[in-house]
This record gives sequence, C-alpha cells and structure tokens, in this order.
Amino acid sequence: MVAVIERGALPTQTEFHEAIARRADRWYSACLRITRDRELAEDAVQDALLSAWRKRHQYQRDAQLETWIHRIAVNAALQLVRRQRPYVFETLDTDIADDGESPQQDLEDSDLGNALAAALHHLTDIERVCFVLKHLEQWRLTEIADELGTNVGGVKQALFRGVKKLRVTMAQLRSKAS
Amino acid sequence: MNDELLTLYYYRDGLTEAERRDVAAALESDAALRAAYEQLCRDLAQLGTPQEVAVKADVVARWHDSIERAARLERQRLPSRGRLLHVPSFAWGTVLAAVLIAGIGIGFYVAGTRVPVLDGASVATGADSTLPASRTSSLAFVRGLKVHLSKSRRELAGLPDDAAAERAALIAQMIEQNRLFERAAAQNGSRDLARVLRAFEPILERLAADDVTPREAEVLQAQLAFELNVMLTKLGRGESEQAGPI
Repeated sequence: MVAVIERGALPTQTEFHEAIARRADRWYSACLRITRDRELAEDAVQDALLSAWRKRHQYQRDAQLETWIHRIAVNAALQLVRRQRPYVFETLDTDIADDGESPQQDLEDSDLGNALAAALHHLTDIERVCFVLKHLEQWRLTEIADELGTNVGGVKQALFRGVKKLRVTMAQLRSKAS
Repeated sequence: MNDELLTLYYYRDGLTEAERRDVAAALESDAALRAAYEQLCRDLAQLGTPQEVAVKADVVARWHDSIERAARLERQRLPSRGRLLHVPSFAWGTVLAAVLIAGIGIGFYVAGTRVPVLDGASVATGADSTLPASRTSSLAFVRGLKVHLSKSRRELAGLPDDAAAERAALIAQMIEQNRLFERAAAQNGSRDLARVLRAFEPILERLAADDVTPREAEVLQAQLAFELNVMLTKLGRGESEQAGPI
C-alpha cells in the first residue's frame, strides 16, 4: 500500500534540488550539443526545470526524475533552436557541412573538449541533431521524426550522412594522433 | 548489403524483423561484411562517450532558485485557494496593470536609452546610454518584451478564478521571462534597466500572493507607479536634453 502511495506521490522540491545537484552537467551538456550555444543551453535547462515542476503530476515514479527532466531539457533545447532558426530542421536534402567556424562555435567545441565535439562540428544542424538524438540520447527514429516535424526516411538519411562524416573525421583524427 | 543497413542494424531501429534476420544471416555468411560491421561498431562505440561540460556555479544556482521561486509561489497560492474568489479581481487586475505599465515603461526606457549621445554628454539615464548594440536589436528587444506581456495578459485573463496552480505557474513564468529580459539588459550593459526589472519582481511576487489585501495591493501598486514615474521622468529629461537648443 505504501509503495502505491509512493509511486503516486509528486516529486518534491528537495528531489528537484537533488536532481539538479546530481545531473546539472549532464543536462547542460546534452542541451549544448543540440544548441551549440551556452546561453541557449542554459535557458533550455531552466525552461525544462520549470516545465517539469509544473507538470510534475505527469511524472511516473518508475522512471528516474533526472532522466525525465533530461528528456524535457532535450526537447526544450530543440524548441529553442527551432524558435531561433525556424527552418533549421527542414533542410534534409542539404549535404553542406557547417564549416564556417565562428568564435562561438570554437568556444563550444573547446567546451565539449573531445574528439566527438570536433567531429560533430563537420555536420550540418540536422545531421548533428539526428545523430545526437539517436546515438547519444537513444531516441527511436520515429520519435526523432515526430519531434523534428519530418519523416523517418529523412531522419535516416541525415543519420547516415552524419555517421559517415563522423567516421571519416574520426579516422582522420586517429591518423593525425598516430 | 550496405553501411546504411548495418547502421540501422547496429541501432536496432528502423528495420523490420525480416530485414534484421536478413542482415544477421548475411553477417553470418560473409566474412568481409562481418569485418565491415565490426569496424562500424568500433567507430560508433568510440563516439559514444562524450565528455560532459561543467556548468557554471552561478547558472546552477539560478536553476535552484527558479525551482525555489516556483515552489514558493505555489505554496503562497495553494493553501487558501478559496480566497481567490474574494480578492481576485482586484489583485489580479493589479498584477496585470503593473505588468502592462512596466512593459510600457520599459519600452520608453529602452527607446530613450538608445538615442545616440552625439556630443558625448550623458543623458539622465546615465550608464544606460550605451544600452543597445543597434537600433534594430533595441526594437527587437522592446517588441519581444511587449509580445511577452501581451501573451501573459491574455493567458491570465482567460484563466478561471479557481485555477490557483495554473495562475501560480503563469506568474512564475512571467517572472522567469522578466529575468530573461533583465539578463539581456544586463548583458547589453544596461545596468539601470536590469535593476528596474529586478525591482519589479518582488512586487509582482507579492501582488500575486493570494493573501495580499486590497490595501496592501494598493500600496504596492503605488510603489510600482512611483518607480515607473521616476524612470519616465528621467527619460523625459534625457530626451529634452537630447532635443535641446540648436
């Protein structure tokens, strides 16, 4: 009986604070990989926290609170990117990498601070987001398509292109290192 | 059999059961394909452990604070939900008025501060004469603020009186938006505008509380009106000086 009550109980303010303390870096990193912009990533997490707080009656106790907020944060990051660049996820046919290295991008890359970040830089927005959502966030292809407002075929193509480019870049990085 | 099928096979997504069986059979029987798949697995595994970025302590503190505020607003409203039916029109009307006045005031304020100081003399707004990077960004800022305020007004006006939690959430949202504008102002070097926006926050919070009496709300409203008058007067003076004798 107690278990049932606990399962149905709303997450408390303390639990939210504990989740922030434990997972702030992870949420922020996930959002940063999507937005490639510190402030947008910070805002995404903040929006997610407030949204999660308001909707906490929807939270299911069989999932971890941190995981639930993580998902909301990733959604918030996608929304913020889309709000800033409304057509960013509609250019599925393009195969032009974002090679214009702005100081901001360099900064974010150094923030991410690893080979993956460097490799992700060679992807277009749609390729990067599809790869991040599939490979790192482990979303289903259908979920990605729904979230980006496109079809599964388009997501697959973006993912294939992304993976291909990443493998080439990683191979180059490996050969440089050796 | 190509890399694309192998990629979907790796992710266990996007293939039908029959297609998965075909790929598995091909991998079983074709050593070269198996080697290619193993290489793909190694490459993708290498991409699977991204380094986390440490978020700044002040940002984390802001996140904690936002939860704290949301919870506090909710606590203020939820225990005596019934009171909304007695005080609400006045209190909520006051909140709306305050927010709208603030929006208009800030609009004037920003518009005033972006007037270029051609002779190098500082206008009454002092440090804020350097506010915007460009006229376009200032206008966008003011427009964004006004849109936010209009939206808040519509949403608040459309809520039923007994939706205490929703009201609390909306006020929390308005305060968060206010903080975003405050931060934008601060980042643009407009310390005064940021300060004014900060000053609105506790007043809005208090006005939103359901234990606020009509008398207290009146005092708070007067306080807010006073702050806005001071600001508008300063701006008016600044504009006069700008348009002064030729």
